[in-house]
Order: sequence, then C-alpha cells, then structure tokens
Amino acid sequence: MLNTRLVVLLQILALLVASTVGTAQAAVIGTADHFAQQSRNEQLGVIDAALTRDTVQQQMVAMGVSHADAMARIGALSDAELQQLAQNIETLPAGSSALGVLGALFLVLLVLEIVGVTNVFTKL
Amino acid sequence: MRAPWRRHTAVQREAATASNILVLALLTLLTACAGVTTPPPDRAATELVAVPFFPQAEYQCGPAALATVLVHSGVTTTPEALAPEVYLPDRLGSLQLELRASARRAGRIPFTLPVGPEALLAELEAGNPVLVLQNLGLRSLPRWHYAVVIGFEPAQQRIILRSGTERRRLERWSRFMASWERAGFWGLVIPQPGKLPASGSAEHTARELARQEAQLEPAVARAGWERALVRWPGEADILFATANVRRAQGDPHGAAALYRRLLFTAPEHLAGRNNFADLLLSASCPVAAAAVLPPTAEFVAGHPPPIRDTITLTAADIASQLATNPDDPAHCRELAGDLP
Repeated sequence: MLNTRLVVLLQILALLVASTVGTAQAAVIGTADHFAQQSRNEQLGVIDAALTRDTVQQQMVAMGVSHADAMARIGALSDAELQQLAQNIETLPAGSSALGVLGALFLVLLVLEIVGVTNVFTKL
Repeated sequence: MRAPWRRHTAVQREAATASNILVLALLTLLTACAGVTTPPPDRAATELVAVPFFPQAEYQCGPAALATVLVHSGVTTTPEALAPEVYLPDRLGSLQLELRASARRAGRIPFTLPVGPEALLAELEAGNPVLVLQNLGLRSLPRWHYAVVIGFEPAQQRIILRSGTERRRLERWSRFMASWERAGFWGLVIPQPGKLPASGSAEHTARELARQEAQLEPAVARAGWERALVRWPGEADILFATANVRRAQGDPHGAAALYRRLLFTAPEHLAGRNNFADLLLSASCPVAAAAVLPPTAEFVAGHPPPIRDTITLTAADIASQLATNPDDPAHCRELAGDLP
C-alpha cells in the first residue's frame, strides 16, 4: 500500500518536473519535434509517456529482466520506442539462435515421416 | 526393399496423395521465397578481417553481434556485459530497438540502413561491418537471428558473416538475401565517433539523428550533427538541427551563423526563424528578432498546434521586449548579420 502511494507520488513529481522543464524552453522548437511534425506517425501524446514507461518496465520485469536492469533499459529508449515496446513486446522479432532452425527442420521431417512421404528414420 | 506389411490400402493411398499435395505446396512456397532475390550488384570483393569475433552462447546472438560491431567502433565491451542491456529471457532473444538503445548507452550512434543490398555493400566498401537481422525460418514460422556481415565475394556470389559460433561463415548471396529480405532488410551500422554511415541520404541520416538525439550524450549528438553538416552543408534541416544543438551547448554565435545560413538557403523555414528569433531575444535584440519573425497570424496557420503555439509565444515575447527597449544594442548587428 505504502509502496503504491510512494510510486504514485513519485510519478506526480516526475510529471511536474517534466512539465516545468518543458515550459522553460517553450519558445524553442526542438529538432525532434520539427522532424516528428514532418512524419505524422511519430507524433506522441505527452501525457502517455510516463504511463508507457511504467507499462514497459512491468512487462520487462515480467519477462525475466531484473528491476534495476529494466529501469536502465527504459531510460535509454525514446518515447516512440517505448510506445512500440508497450504495444508489441510479445511479437517484435527477437533475434536468438541459428540452432533453432534445426529444430524446425526436424519437425518438418518428422511430420513427413509420419505421413509416410519420407523414410529417413525407419531406414536408420 | 519394401517390408511385407507395408501394403497400400485405399486409406494409405489417400494419405499419400494428401502429403504429396503438401510437399508440392511447400516447394511452391520455397520457390516463391527464392524468387525475390536480386543478383549481386557489381562491386569489388571485400572482407573486413579486423572485425572481432565473439562466439555466441545459447540464444545470445544479440549480445554477441552487438559486441562485434561495438568493439569494432572502439568500445571496450563483451557479450556478457551487454546481455543485461538487451537480452529478454522470456523471448529467448533480443529486440532490434534495444540493440540500438544499448549502442547509445555505449556512447555511439546506431544507424539503421536504407532498405536493400546496395546500402549493405556500400557500408562494407567503406569499412563498416553491418549487424543484420535474418529470418532463417519461414515467413509464417520465423526464426530470428542476428549476425554481422563482414564481407562480400562477387566471384563466388557469397556473403561473409560472423554468425553464431562460426567465425567466418559463408552464405550464398541468394540464400542470405532471402533470409534478410524476410527480416525486412534490417541492418545496423555503428560508426566510430565523429563518423557517419557511407550509405543513406541527407534526409535518412538526419531522421536517424533527430530520432535518437534526446537519448544521446550531448557531445555525441553534436559531433553527429556537425559531421552531417560537413557532408551536406546546404541541407536546411541539418543546418537547423546543428544550430539548435550548438545553442543548447552554449555556443550562441556558432548557432546564429548557422541560422543565418539556413534563412539564406530556405527563407520559408519557420522553425528556423522561430529559434533564431528566440536566440536574438535572449541576447536582448528584439528589433533583430522582429525582423526574423514577422508578426503575421496567417504565417503560422497551416502548422500543427505545438509549433503554432511556440511561434505565437515567441511573437508575444518580441512584442513585450520591443515595448521596453525599442533599440537593439550594438552587439546585435554581429549576431543577426544581414538578413534576407
């Protein structure tokens, strides 16, 4: 309970700090904003950012990353990248191993064998 | 020789027909995949033999491939050190955007290549190994794998890779291209500090820099923009971005010089006008600022709200400063120059 409250309090604080920093430079158009304006699909709601950060961190921890590592990893991602992760962390390509191919190949061979097309294994 | 118990019943025959159709379908699928490959472009043979090799541990091709290109760019690291930054245990692998993020944490700027084989070969020729994502499986049953392309043999039509546990893996051009195409031709170059990829237009390179600038060390970001400016001195958005980064790092004179150049090449660059006006205002030059950003409402009409609001704010600042000091001090002349 206390933890949840503390987290909420910290988030409010973070949001306040973020918005004050924003107004201090309000008269300048940032490079990223200028480029994002040119390609509309990169535009993001400002309010979403903190929430997205939180979502992705929980997802990462649930997927086996330590709390400390997840924090550091999220800090290195842009808002657009965070948004992408929040929506697709389960489905984005996760490059792993070339060895897995053998597994898939084996599966296909096994199926063909069972259906009776090949005789790879019975002849062994 | 057929075993005596293996007689063809009607049911077996039907099953055999069905499986024949299946095999035919599979073969068609495979040929369809092979059809997309293009012949290797006419380029010289290359092999970047100095690129290090880290044999991957199980499922760890992400950290291994990333370490390969990072160490080549001058970073001291290992796959073991990178794994906590990129490996996702439940997915048994690493995501592309986390490889990018990890490179930024190491003080480098990762660049995604323009799609296609031309960019890959251009990078190899320029001495840059390319981290690629391959789909070694099928489109419907993907097997994602990261490897590093280090060479090209046009005579044998082969690609040379650091891949998995193989220091020098040779793959047929057509086979590699098919697997790379199934992964959207995704390739990453991590140049040494102060360098840019050889491939990529001004627009492509600028977009990559702009997208990642907020996550880069300020000095690294500035070096990237300054380098881009050297290569494309007349590109409006690069002038704009470099001016911004100069000003943000306490070099208003250097920034002003670029804003002036920008407004000479692209007088219609509204974001540039706004930021230059803001710079002049902070140097107490409201008259010069008013000349840079004329106070017209229709000027901003076509722009999205955040940009419009910012410009309106700057215009209001100009008006209020002009009310208190209607004359610019002498130093403003140097800062503003002769405006178009």
